[in-house]
Amino acid sequence: MKAYQSDLAKIKASDSVVFGISTDSPPANAAFAKQIGVTFPLLSDMNRKVLTEYGILKKYPMGGDSYEWARRTTFVIDKQGRIKHIEFDESAINPNTAVAICTGLGPKK
Amino acid sequence: MMRLATVLAGCLAFFLLAARVPAAPQQKDVMAETNLKVGQMAPDFTLPSDQQTSVKLSDYRGKKNVILAFYILAFTPG
Repeated sequence: MKAYQSDLAKIKASDSVVFGISTDSPPANAAFAKQIGVTFPLLSDMNRKVLTEYGILKKYPMGGDSYEWARRTTFVIDKQGRIKHIEFDESAINPNTAVAICTGLGPKK
Repeated sequence: MMRLATVLAGCLAFFLLAARVPAAPQQKDVMAETNLKVGQMAPDFTLPSDQQTSVKLSDYRGKKNVILAFYILAFTPG
């Protein structure tokens, strides 16, 4: 989330907004945002409805049990509400492609 | 000597194979593949934010591009 915060000026300049989304509660996300200095909204999908609908609810095995949290994924949605870009896992942590798409330059080569 | 090497290689192959077997179903289990595709409408949602507001995706239609950055858990890097 810190990387997206670093690019927030570029994101705003491209007439875009960014939201973080996880299964954490709003107070947990507020504490997290404060700790890492994130000023854009972090959203709480506590009942995992959005994660299920977006198909990115992932099982994480831990201590013989398994827990369902988000797969690290980034979606870019244009002004018409259409999905322009989907990125997963390690690649999704880096906001460069998402920001480039928002600024209308396309993915970096 | 050659025979010993063959036996050792066989043992090694067996252990590697045996180690892989239990991991296979787990690997399949943890995958999360979205059915959403580029060009499709993004499913709408309303979710509470950490800033004591709620965010409705469709409120941004016709106004802003939206980046949705899904992360695993708060207090984790990335």
